[in-house]
Amino acid sequence: MGRGIPWRHFDFLLLGAIVLATAFGVTMIRSAVAGNEELLPLVNRQILFAVAGLAVIFLVASIDYRYWLALYIPIYAAMMALLIALYLSAQAVFGAARWFQVGVFFVQPTEFSKVVLIVILARYFERTADRPHDLRWALNSLGWTMGLAMWILLQPNLSNVIVLLVLWMAMLWISGLPLKYFFAFGLAGLVAAIAGFPFLQPYQQQRVINFLFPDPTARHGATYNVRQALIAIGSGGLFGKGYGHGSQVQLRFLKVRHTDFIFSATAEEFGMVGALLVVAVLVFIIFRCLRAARLARDLSGSLIAYGVAVLIFFQAAVNIGVNLNLIPVSGLPLPFISYGGSGLLSLMLAIGLVESVVMRQNELEF
Amino acid sequence: MRKQFIWRSQAVAVLFTFLGFSVVAQVVRIQNSPEAAAFLRQQSDRYAGQFRTIYPTRGEIYDRNGYLLAGNQTVYEIGVDLKAMRNPHTIALALSTHLGMDYNRVYEKLINPPQGQVYLPITDFVPAQKAEVLQQLIESLSEQPTDSSAADSPSLAGLEIRSHLQRSYPEGDLAANVLGFVTREGRGYFGVEEKYNDNLAGKPVTVWVPLDPNRVEETPKIPQGATLILTLDRELQLAVEDILAQALYRTGAENGTIVVMDPRNGEILAMASTPRMDLNRFWNYDSVYQNASEFNRAVSMPYEPGSVMKVFTMAAALDTGVVSPDTPFLDTGAIQVGGVTIKNWDEQAWGPQTMLGCMQHSLNVCLAWVATQLGPQTFYDYMQRFGFGHATGIDLAGEATGRLKVPGDADWYPVDLGTNAFGQGVTVTPIQMVMAASAITNGGRMVTPHVLYAMVEEGQQYNTPIQYAGTPISAEAAHLLSEMLAVSLEGESSAALVPGYRVAGKTGTAQIPTPYGYYTSGITNASFIGWGPVDDPRFIVYVWLEKPTSSIWGSETAAPVFAEVVRKTVVLLDIPPDAVRQKTMER
Repeated sequence: MGRGIPWRHFDFLLLGAIVLATAFGVTMIRSAVAGNEELLPLVNRQILFAVAGLAVIFLVASIDYRYWLALYIPIYAAMMALLIALYLSAQAVFGAARWFQVGVFFVQPTEFSKVVLIVILARYFERTADRPHDLRWALNSLGWTMGLAMWILLQPNLSNVIVLLVLWMAMLWISGLPLKYFFAFGLAGLVAAIAGFPFLQPYQQQRVINFLFPDPTARHGATYNVRQALIAIGSGGLFGKGYGHGSQVQLRFLKVRHTDFIFSATAEEFGMVGALLVVAVLVFIIFRCLRAARLARDLSGSLIAYGVAVLIFFQAAVNIGVNLNLIPVSGLPLPFISYGGSGLLSLMLAIGLVESVVMRQNELEF
Repeated sequence: MRKQFIWRSQAVAVLFTFLGFSVVAQVVRIQNSPEAAAFLRQQSDRYAGQFRTIYPTRGEIYDRNGYLLAGNQTVYEIGVDLKAMRNPHTIALALSTHLGMDYNRVYEKLINPPQGQVYLPITDFVPAQKAEVLQQLIESLSEQPTDSSAADSPSLAGLEIRSHLQRSYPEGDLAANVLGFVTREGRGYFGVEEKYNDNLAGKPVTVWVPLDPNRVEETPKIPQGATLILTLDRELQLAVEDILAQALYRTGAENGTIVVMDPRNGEILAMASTPRMDLNRFWNYDSVYQNASEFNRAVSMPYEPGSVMKVFTMAAALDTGVVSPDTPFLDTGAIQVGGVTIKNWDEQAWGPQTMLGCMQHSLNVCLAWVATQLGPQTFYDYMQRFGFGHATGIDLAGEATGRLKVPGDADWYPVDLGTNAFGQGVTVTPIQMVMAASAITNGGRMVTPHVLYAMVEEGQQYNTPIQYAGTPISAEAAHLLSEMLAVSLEGESSAALVPGYRVAGKTGTAQIPTPYGYYTSGITNASFIGWGPVDDPRFIVYVWLEKPTSSIWGSETAAPVFAEVVRKTVVLLDIPPDAVRQKTMER
């Protein structure tokens, strides 16, 4: 390793948890797509992405995160350009294309925009730490956020916009948002949600309605997926039906079982113990990110690690919440476990940043 | 610097912990609480299977040698799962292109489905090749990545193809009049299909069908409908139908009927009747037939048979002993019965005759005299014992009884005794004649005709037992009569004779009564009843040609047809010529 790169503080426990979660994810994906010829190549593709992701962790970790902070303008501009290009190309094909196709891979810029936002906001809040925390300060940060979120909203992809807004709110909160603004923003968000409901896509409205007022007689349609997920989780019992033996998974009652409902698949085949172990691994990863935030040598490092922790936590909470019918259906993947190359790669990138922060926890390294 | 973050971090930590624990609590609840378990199990059962009414596969029908006469083929119902449907335009377009359906009507149906319906059947009975084309189209479209928000992209999502069975008749119109047909509702009409509909269809059962292949053995086994094996011989049936068609062409008759029965056991070997239709196109029924009795004239169409009836008048007379074959009779060309004068067919006096001559020359005057010798009581007693006026009980749908007026009926007059004796004023069906004739070939014992050889149900074969329908005459009378009829054919070198085989029989030519009661002269029913070989009868053949134009006489139209049928029958049934058979038996 190069001189001056302090690998001594590299968080191998975090890396171990990531490898564990990713490997388990590949295993579950393999079970979930078993017997489906069209989906079968996804397993190898996910392995490819996982290996590439590990390389990305080491690569990003070896680079001081402050280089990225210094390069915030080109990074931000490039990200926005990608999102605009995606929006325009989607317009051209009359549909909501959410990816660019590169060879056989579909690249989803949206996933990377989350990591970019964390970096941008970390830089902003560090630079403005000494300024008065007034409304202008808060709205400026919202402006940075909306610069990316707007194009995602136009896709339209509400789930990911909410992820970005949650990231923004979490980082704003930790940076010392006065309570009055916090409640004002909360109220504004609520009003916006109610006022904006009629403008949602019909399928999005239906999802909310189905969650709030489920139709008990429906055999088909929207409540089907969630109900099958609950049946899958419930039928798992303490130790599950065994790998590859979940009837909900293998008989395809459970839909999108390799992405959105992979938690249910896990719960069915590995039972409560398996599901809680998955939760435990994710909690451990979040915990290690927060530890990095505490050890970081400067505010921006703290904020990056904290932001990544929030990102992983929120996506995991939403995904599992959907699986458990705690919140309405939305298509957020379970971090490190669900299938999705771009999602996995961008999370690996985020972990690389966290490692970069934790490796450089001391100002001076002898 | 970090001090200021402490309480804020703690707030975040509290939030994380709370949400985390709610997740854990929910997992534990779902997997461990009995109420949640019961609820989910109930939910799971709702999806794990469904109640379905299963209709057993309709039983097949074979001829006596195992050739398939009626089977089932797979056809497809096309329907739409409305919840899964994304683009009604694509579906309507695909159906109009590949099935030739009207685009607008399908589209209207799809966008205005009946309230509360989730599955909408569009069309049915689509043949396999077309269904396959549709299936490939569905697959090729579903491979393209689609998004739920993209409503305009072409999609056949929701289009469903379900297979089921439809009746098919591999032989087309062969034995159509015996088989009958099955409509799309699955009900049999006419012939065997109607008579044995309940056996063929089996009992539909409503059962719970699991979708889980691991539990597939829980699906109750539904026994298939009974398989029928008919007494018909496919080869002979085809030959007889061909002979009938040629006969119609040659004689100019409007319609015809030929029945071939094994007199020893009542098995119908062939039963042809015109017109016939291709059973696979049963919807043409209306254009082929004017009314139901035309479907199978052999059992459903009573008519005045004419002189063939003399066989049974003579049988009664021989049995009671009022006459013997050589009883003399002086034919003066006319006789008074009930105040009405009865004349011969040629209105001539034939002078001194024996009973044999009366039969040979088919003298009405003579037979009317025989009937008067018997007296009404005895004559009608015999006619009823021969089964006239009653259904034979053959196992085919729509059998008619014909009409035998008896003394005491309001429309019976004393003259009927004289005319009935030679087959006027009485209506019979061909199958009644065949059954009555079996008494003469079987030594007096009459056998009930049947077309069912055996029924195979749940692996068990049930053979149809021979049923006897009484013994109207004695064995001696039967033998005498058979001999008489054989000699009379030989005496006039009838066209019914077949080289190598001794046959017995009687022609009939009946004028056709008009609705006003009197007879037309130039339009007749030509009939022939015959059997052979005389010393050990193996077949009874009945021929009826309606309104022949080449000649009105049964001896010139129906008798040669009989001979043709016999020539085919002896070959196809492997009946050796009499000389060969007798030589074998002597050895």
